[in-house]
Amino acid sequence: MVVDQEKCIGCGICMVYCPNDAIQMEEKENGARRASILQEKCLECGNCIRPRVVRCPGKAFYELPEEDRSLSRRLRRFFSDPSTTHPLTGVPGRGTEEVKTNDVTGRVCRGELGICLELGRPIIGTSAADIEKVTMRLARMDIVLEECNPVCEMIADPETGKFKPEFMDASFISAIVEFVIPFSRGPEVLKVCKEIAEEIDTVFSLDMICCYDEDGTNPAVALCEQEGISPRSNAKVNIGIGRPYRIER
Amino acid sequence: MSHSLHRRGAPEDLRHDYILLVTAASGVNHENSKEKLRQVLDLVWEIGPINTGSNETGTILSGVSVEEIKAGFTKVPRVRCCFDSEDKMREILKRLLAMDLGISVTVSGPRGRIEEMCQEMGVQPHSVNFSLDIWGKREKLPPEEIMEFVTMCGHGLISKALVTDTIERIKNGSMTPEQGAVRMGSPCVCGLFNPTRAVKALQKYVPSQREETVK
Repeated sequence: MVVDQEKCIGCGICMVYCPNDAIQMEEKENGARRASILQEKCLECGNCIRPRVVRCPGKAFYELPEEDRSLSRRLRRFFSDPSTTHPLTGVPGRGTEEVKTNDVTGRVCRGELGICLELGRPIIGTSAADIEKVTMRLARMDIVLEECNPVCEMIADPETGKFKPEFMDASFISAIVEFVIPFSRGPEVLKVCKEIAEEIDTVFSLDMICCYDEDGTNPAVALCEQEGISPRSNAKVNIGIGRPYRIER
Repeated sequence: MSHSLHRRGAPEDLRHDYILLVTAASGVNHENSKEKLRQVLDLVWEIGPINTGSNETGTILSGVSVEEIKAGFTKVPRVRCCFDSEDKMREILKRLLAMDLGISVTVSGPRGRIEEMCQEMGVQPHSVNFSLDIWGKREKLPPEEIMEFVTMCGHGLISKALVTDTIERIKNGSMTPEQGAVRMGSPCVCGLFNPTRAVKALQKYVPSQREETVK
């Protein structure tokens, strides 16, 4: 994003809305104050440009044409602005529809676990370097990452999880590393999540998707208990009324 | 992404925080689903959400009309809305079951209560996305009082600065908790921000309330 210096009236109402403190006020030679955006900090989330969020009196925010933005800057949007749709996913947002459409996509079926490491969430943000640590660690375990996720665009070699160098300077609000594993690998993966937590320079929110068994119980509850992890009381429940219905692989 | 998961707050407060997500699945059943989703949004509106919105338009909290949200549906349409009442959540689930649209329905909120609702209605839930909390450099996180607000937007669009500035304005009497909730909720374009919870949490910063707390 960019601020049109002719349109900015220097009121500063925009500053607190930026999730990465990228908007600053500068004093011009004539003493007038004008907002500007630190490009290295701008994550392209779009908050400042949305007319019902910042409500900039001068409508001073605008976006450079795509051809004038670098590859990593263009990619930032997919991890920061929920209204954008990455060509790999076909849906708005930073990854798959995870559990929201799981009753019809069957992305995670019985006997499996869907795992998402949401790097940078909440509020801290993340870098390509941190995400790469995770993808490389998982590649060593022969874990295949979800293809419908913008993270895959950054990976040069799925065998190693290493990123393409042109993306290594990228930062995002959050990025989701997601994958599906056999249920039996749950303990091993949770152990690695603990190791990853020690190695990265940010936080991640951890999600675990699991189908209910025929008797109405959810086997992930016992797994978490066994591993000494307490799922939080609030969760997302797919109530299973979508069609065509899919729960077995 | 799991934008309605990982909301922070006391269990008592989270009991009044339900998110309904009705989603057509891209490549599976999204063809010709716009009309179905419009019906869903009409139903939601009749029952009375405390917030709803879309990436394309923004939210009712920031002045968007339901008609604008419906008109802005994309080829893979979705309805996202927030309820502060378990009774309303139960009612909408009952009516969605009766409509039988074949579109995926997911509810975010207290898992035990959602499972009980499903049982009451004779529905076997398909799957659940558990929040296994926050891992890594937790020392970088702001205090829980801030987290409670910023995690109401899972896309991370509510800044810490906006929350602290709004609290400051309420403390100095230049903004009411109601105005503060609208201000903080505006960046959450999906409409998942819960203004009822926000107002309740902000009331403790009102000067008269603070004085009473000190006494």
